[in-house]
Amino acid sequence: MNEPEILVRGAGLTKRFGGIVANDAVDIQVARGDLIGLIGPNGSGKTTLIHTLTGHLIPDSGVVTVRGRQLSGQPAHIYAGMGVARTFQLTQLFGRMSVLENMLVPGLTRRYSSWPDALHRARGYLEFLNLSHVEHLHAKNLSGGQQKLLELGRCLMLEPTVLFLDEPFAGVHPRLRDELIKRIGELHRSGRTFVVVDHDMESILRISQRLAVMARGRKIADGVPADVRADQAVLAAYAGL
Amino acid sequence: MRGFHIYVLVAAAGLALVYAGHLNPYWMHVAIIAMFYAILASSWSLLAGYAGLFSLGHMAFASIGGYTSALLVQWLAVPVPLGMAAGVAMSVTIGAFIGWVCLRMSGPYLAIFTLGFAEIIRITFSTEDDVTAGMAGLHTEPLFNTATRLPYFYTAFGLLALSLLLMGVIVRSRFGLFLRAIREDEQAAAASGVAVARFRILVFAIASGFAGLAGGFYAHYIGILTPSIGGLDLMALLVVMTVIGGMERLPTAVGGAFIVEFLLELLREYGQWRFPVFGVILLLTMRFARNGLLTPIWVQFVRLGERRLQATIVAPSADREDQRA
Repeated sequence: MNEPEILVRGAGLTKRFGGIVANDAVDIQVARGDLIGLIGPNGSGKTTLIHTLTGHLIPDSGVVTVRGRQLSGQPAHIYAGMGVARTFQLTQLFGRMSVLENMLVPGLTRRYSSWPDALHRARGYLEFLNLSHVEHLHAKNLSGGQQKLLELGRCLMLEPTVLFLDEPFAGVHPRLRDELIKRIGELHRSGRTFVVVDHDMESILRISQRLAVMARGRKIADGVPADVRADQAVLAAYAGL
Repeated sequence: MRGFHIYVLVAAAGLALVYAGHLNPYWMHVAIIAMFYAILASSWSLLAGYAGLFSLGHMAFASIGGYTSALLVQWLAVPVPLGMAAGVAMSVTIGAFIGWVCLRMSGPYLAIFTLGFAEIIRITFSTEDDVTAGMAGLHTEPLFNTATRLPYFYTAFGLLALSLLLMGVIVRSRFGLFLRAIREDEQAAAASGVAVARFRILVFAIASGFAGLAGGFYAHYIGILTPSIGGLDLMALLVVMTVIGGMERLPTAVGGAFIVEFLLELLREYGQWRFPVFGVILLLTMRFARNGLLTPIWVQFVRLGERRLQATIVAPSADREDQRA
């Protein structure tokens, strides 16, 4: 059986902020078709790792490769152009632009994209995300859950191969959370690859095929959820036992 | 009827061109200066309103354009339009450089940096009086050797129309969309695939080029150029014009320039006291109408005759949202 293609690889990633080591020689691989849950206590380095893997931070040491091409040190838009999309821990939308314009921005950054094509795709994704009825509202006027959905939609406009979602369920109403989980599941089944960071263990376990656990800047476990949950190191570090 | 406002503006412009010959020299001069400021206000709106880059060095680029043109005409006897083109090229080049240097700056840091740059330029022009004639003023070659100001009026009108046309194309293109995305959130724009650094440098260069164009015209209209054109006083006046009109739209910024320039003349009998009046208007605008006093009027004007259900372009709906904000 062929091994799945490695889409994103981080090797020996270290990132320090002053005296704090946020990531300490972290190795991680994201293969095509993965749906990875990245978990860990607060301050364990999850968001720093995502920043590094998506080009928003330059690692102090280690390399990031995307589909075999080394991208460490390149700006974030190069990663986006290579099909690496991401959302943010605190939703970062273009607040005073309409929902539709939020979608058009990534849609029009793609090479050879045209306005009619971008509009068509944007409206298609807005329908998929149940946001069609608010397409003319300013993004800042949406509810928290709708903003999370829009951020996901903005990622989809890049036609990404891999999506990093940073705390997509944080502060979201349970009904919209279920909607998000449903949409992530559908997108995964349609061939997208996901890395999802969240504290909501119930949601993470509902969707993840693989769990990676961070603690004190290091990756301490990586495997199928059942094995990871039984790992003593994980129990000690994550659950405080 | 879609584009009704365009027809009204074109008709008004046509009337202005026809009526210009009947203006007395004083009001014609005021109109020419208003158009000079309108080019500056609209290009500053492109930079600060659309891209969110609050530069206080815009008038410095006008002075660079003006001095480059005036000195080239004086030294090399090149035709004035060629000198003005060289002034634009110089402003674009230095603007791109400044845009590159302050890539990682925004908000107050960018404002202070560009203010420092503007002061360096002003002091250099003041001090190097062997070259620039310093504060005594550099006598410049006139653009037209005529007794009437009418050719200058038409030239200023043409330059303003051309500038607005080019900037209008820019803000309605994907470039304009990306600039607004950068203004809203640079990190999210980069995550969306926008080459933030490239667009920031480009918009700095383009806006500086328009400032240089205005400065070049001013130099060959007014006849004597002093370093004060790049000073903080005129920059503050430009900010007042743009903010009072509405800095996030080109037409409102132009409207602000015209209103403030004409009011300054109408209130001339009050001397220096007319300036605090504009300070108060600015404060009230920032407190009660952050999008500018002319923005709601412009939005209503655009919506005149527009079919509400035609929503293929996003801007009208965004306008409705802006009114609500």
